[in-house]
Amino acid sequence: MIYVKNLHKYFGQLEVLKGIDCHVREKEVVVVIGPSGSGKSTFLRCLNKLEEPTAGDIVIDGIPLNSEVNVNAIRREVGMVFQRFNLFPHMTALRNVALAPEIVRGTSKKEAEEAGLELLDKVGLSDKAHEYPERLSGGQQQRVAIARALAMRPKVMLFDEPTSALDPEMVGEVLAVMKTLANEGMTMVVVTHEMGFAREVGDRVIFMDEGVIVEEGAPDEVFANPRNPRTQAFLSKIL
Amino acid sequence: MTINWGLALQTLPVLLQGAVLTLELTAGAVAIGVVLGLFLALGRLSHTGVLRVVCRAYIDFFRGTPLLAQLFLTGFGLPQLFGWQSQPENYPFIAATLTMGLNSGAYVAEIFRGGIQSIDRGQTEAARSLGMSHAQALRYIILPQAIKRVIPPLGNEFIAMLKDSSLVAILAIEELMYAGKIMVGRTFQPLPIYLMVTLIYLVMTVIISQILARVERWLGKSDLR
Repeated sequence: MIYVKNLHKYFGQLEVLKGIDCHVREKEVVVVIGPSGSGKSTFLRCLNKLEEPTAGDIVIDGIPLNSEVNVNAIRREVGMVFQRFNLFPHMTALRNVALAPEIVRGTSKKEAEEAGLELLDKVGLSDKAHEYPERLSGGQQQRVAIARALAMRPKVMLFDEPTSALDPEMVGEVLAVMKTLANEGMTMVVVTHEMGFAREVGDRVIFMDEGVIVEEGAPDEVFANPRNPRTQAFLSKIL
Repeated sequence: MTINWGLALQTLPVLLQGAVLTLELTAGAVAIGVVLGLFLALGRLSHTGVLRVVCRAYIDFFRGTPLLAQLFLTGFGLPQLFGWQSQPENYPFIAATLTMGLNSGAYVAEIFRGGIQSIDRGQTEAARSLGMSHAQALRYIILPQAIKRVIPPLGNEFIAMLKDSSLVAILAIEELMYAGKIMVGRTFQPLPIYLMVTLIYLVMTVIISQILARVERWLGKSDLR
């Protein structure tokens, strides 16, 4: 589903990604962990070209990420959830969810809103459909953001530290929604610090440090027997 | 010479007629300025280098030269270029409205640019990540939020333009200032008449700022709905 080959990214002189190779299979849940500044978020953001890769190839669902036309095509197939939710504050929850299908896919307003209500129901927020984001808690906002991304019927979902901006008591509700998605067979790449989630839901864990993939494997393996000293050092700090 | 305060009231109907023209002039200029300003702002923020340079040059010219000089240029300079012996009757009014609109567009562009840039980058990223084009993101996500933020500075710009419209008196357009000047010429009573003119400007600007305050409150409310 996702092929990444020799991905490099510079911010000015600073090399943030130093040659990433990665392959995500359909229905796989890949969890990316690592210390801050390791390039996890940049890697994720390269996958839908919110960051422009300096070098390397990315192919998603058979579409190479190499022209403006393809970028828009890929963005329609790849949903993204942000750390800071980024809901549209001037629209109700339902409008947040229904807008993109209407203007990007050309779905009728009625259909888009019906589908939107279903999605809000799925994330447990059908009663908040007509609330503005300001009136929702962080956890609720993030669940609306997930519904918004799902409304485009993406084949892949990217999560960029989806629970890092949340109060602790709201982390669970967001992770629960993500877990449901994973169980339904969504292909997911998740950057997170939630090791419990990585262990329970992840099919594979990727440990990144200083712009390279240091270690990867099944969660149980990586968490129980990290081979690389850097992985060991990181895990011993957070577990 | 005694001051004839009664003249302030006697000339009021003529002055009010002038005030109507002042409002028309300002409204025309505001309309031109807002539309032009929006496009200039988008041009300044565009990815096309040429467009950025052109818009930047336009803004620099109209902000960097006096409105009075611009009015002299269009009011007196252009007719020379056209080789007119006598100007069409409504030329001064059209030239004045256009010039004020072109001038205001430069200021409005900077207001819009500030408003657009004040919207969090995450909004654009979310829109683009959903597959929206750059134009769709602007239209549905960025501009609706930016417009709310630019209402107060736009209001200031409208009021400034209403006052600056007094400059077009030099083109002999019978707006409020010129009407006052004519009345003074007839009566040699500058104090009561110019005082009245000043008061009429004050009343107009106060009313406009009241209206704008209401618009702001109304827009603010829709945030909390």
